[in-house]
Amino acid sequence: MRLWPGHSRPSREDRMRTVLADGAVAKGSQHAGSMTKSTTPALAIRELSKSFSGYRAVENVSFDVLNGRVVGLLGPNGAGKTTTTRMILGLAAPDSGEALIHGRSYRDLERPARMVGAVLDAAGLHPGRTGREHLRIAAAQIAAPPARIDAVLDEVGLAPAANRRVAGYSLGMRQRLSLAAALLGEPSILVLDEPANGLDPAGMHWLRELIRSFADAGGSVLLSSHVLSEVALVADDIVVIAQGRVAAAGELQSTVAAHGGDLESFYLDLTATSAGVR
Amino acid sequence: MFRAEMLKLTTTRATKAAVAVGVAGLIATQVTLVTVLPALASGAIGPGREALGDDLPAFDLTTGAAQLAAVSPLGSSTGAGSIGIAVLAVLILGVLAGTTDYRFGGIVPTALAQPRRGRILTAKVLATALAGLVVGVTYAAVSLGTLLVSLLLARTELAASPLELAGVLGGGALAVALFALLGLAIGILARSQLAGVLVMLGILLFELIAQAIIQLVTGTLPAWAQLMPLSLGQAAVSSGATGGIPPVTAVAALAALVAVVVAAAGVALRSRDI
Repeated sequence: MRLWPGHSRPSREDRMRTVLADGAVAKGSQHAGSMTKSTTPALAIRELSKSFSGYRAVENVSFDVLNGRVVGLLGPNGAGKTTTTRMILGLAAPDSGEALIHGRSYRDLERPARMVGAVLDAAGLHPGRTGREHLRIAAAQIAAPPARIDAVLDEVGLAPAANRRVAGYSLGMRQRLSLAAALLGEPSILVLDEPANGLDPAGMHWLRELIRSFADAGGSVLLSSHVLSEVALVADDIVVIAQGRVAAAGELQSTVAAHGGDLESFYLDLTATSAGVR
Repeated sequence: MFRAEMLKLTTTRATKAAVAVGVAGLIATQVTLVTVLPALASGAIGPGREALGDDLPAFDLTTGAAQLAAVSPLGSSTGAGSIGIAVLAVLILGVLAGTTDYRFGGIVPTALAQPRRGRILTAKVLATALAGLVVGVTYAAVSLGTLLVSLLLARTELAASPLELAGVLGGGALAVALFALLGLAIGILARSQLAGVLVMLGILLFELIAQAIIQLVTGTLPAWAQLMPLSLGQAAVSSGATGGIPPVTAVAALAALVAVVVAAAGVALRSRDI
């Protein structure tokens, strides 16, 4: 499997090294709760709030994602993870607060897909198009060179099925295709909302490897999930959202260790009061 | 972004199906007009002209006016507010162009690639206008071909002048492109494919019913009552010799009407969460 094949543009590693040289924090040097001190976070979420018809879906959510870190965004269904993610990506307008990507809002980024790759619930896949057609459209949208299409197809292991219609894809294959689209622009930040949905154990392992190698190369990952085991295996930091608010944020190992060493118990303690469908 | 929108249109079966249905409907309508009506009039089929009386529209294919009516890329019509399969197909094509992104979630990667919603709308408008124009030119070529073959088979001379034919075909091609844009704007406003198609059908039926009522009440169809999509489309393909709204004015009025609806779609696209 080829990772980050080279072409005429500066490589993703080169661009990440530039970003890292600009005051970023290497893996393990800080935890989520104190990431902002003298650093330039890849993602800076500041007191985001959003209501729907009077219902407060997200309230004063703040956290950072540093360069080279994988941040697990945890919370029960309906806790506000997806709304937060959509606000970060400019898909939903916050009532107050801001989400900054290297200091600028998503909507102000000139070529956002070259900086942020996103996977949102395998959305955007027309069943009548082939995988390759989807990537052709995605490449045209971000002006990525056509050679990137074969590169990302190889990268996500979907090359043999590229010319099949998406209607015949399994959920795991759709997730891989969404990831391929997210990687087209060689971004330095990945925002992934439940990316493991539909993946088999081998696929989960492959995804963890991909996320880990991405972060180890200096990239930043915001991984939204309610599957604790998935996050525990790959995240450096966690942010737990419950009832629309940040219930806890910090470096994964030390935070969990401070609460008896069991992520599940820690998570359930934090979210127990928010039981039920929101 | 424009290229991506063109790829979206050309990589779905629904687009091709809409165009195929439009072309087939156009041919069927034209063939019916140039073969069945003359045959009814001559008594070759049916009870004959005298028995049919006023139920049989006057249609003499040897005249230039009849040939111009027969060559309409919107599907031949003898009335102002009427709709054919060709028009319906291109309107649905536009609605699909506006709703498919919402139906299958493609609007999310689109908005991620281009956060400035105005640019998304611009790309969609340009792509749909180009696709609509291609369909309009195809309709025009099919209409002209069908007329010429019919005249050849009937051993009838071409009475309409090339300039008149070019006017009708050009006006029709532009009207088709504008109808596609109208469908696009309705689709973006509705977001749901079913809702978009229903809203579009509602608008078209409203025009037909409103005009019928106005005509019954006033005894005529005033110019202001013709400032609606179907009537403007029909006026755009008229020869202009029979009164009513001149073709150039009709195209301009239809373009203005479409621009208003597209602007409303732009406001909705910018203000909504995705």
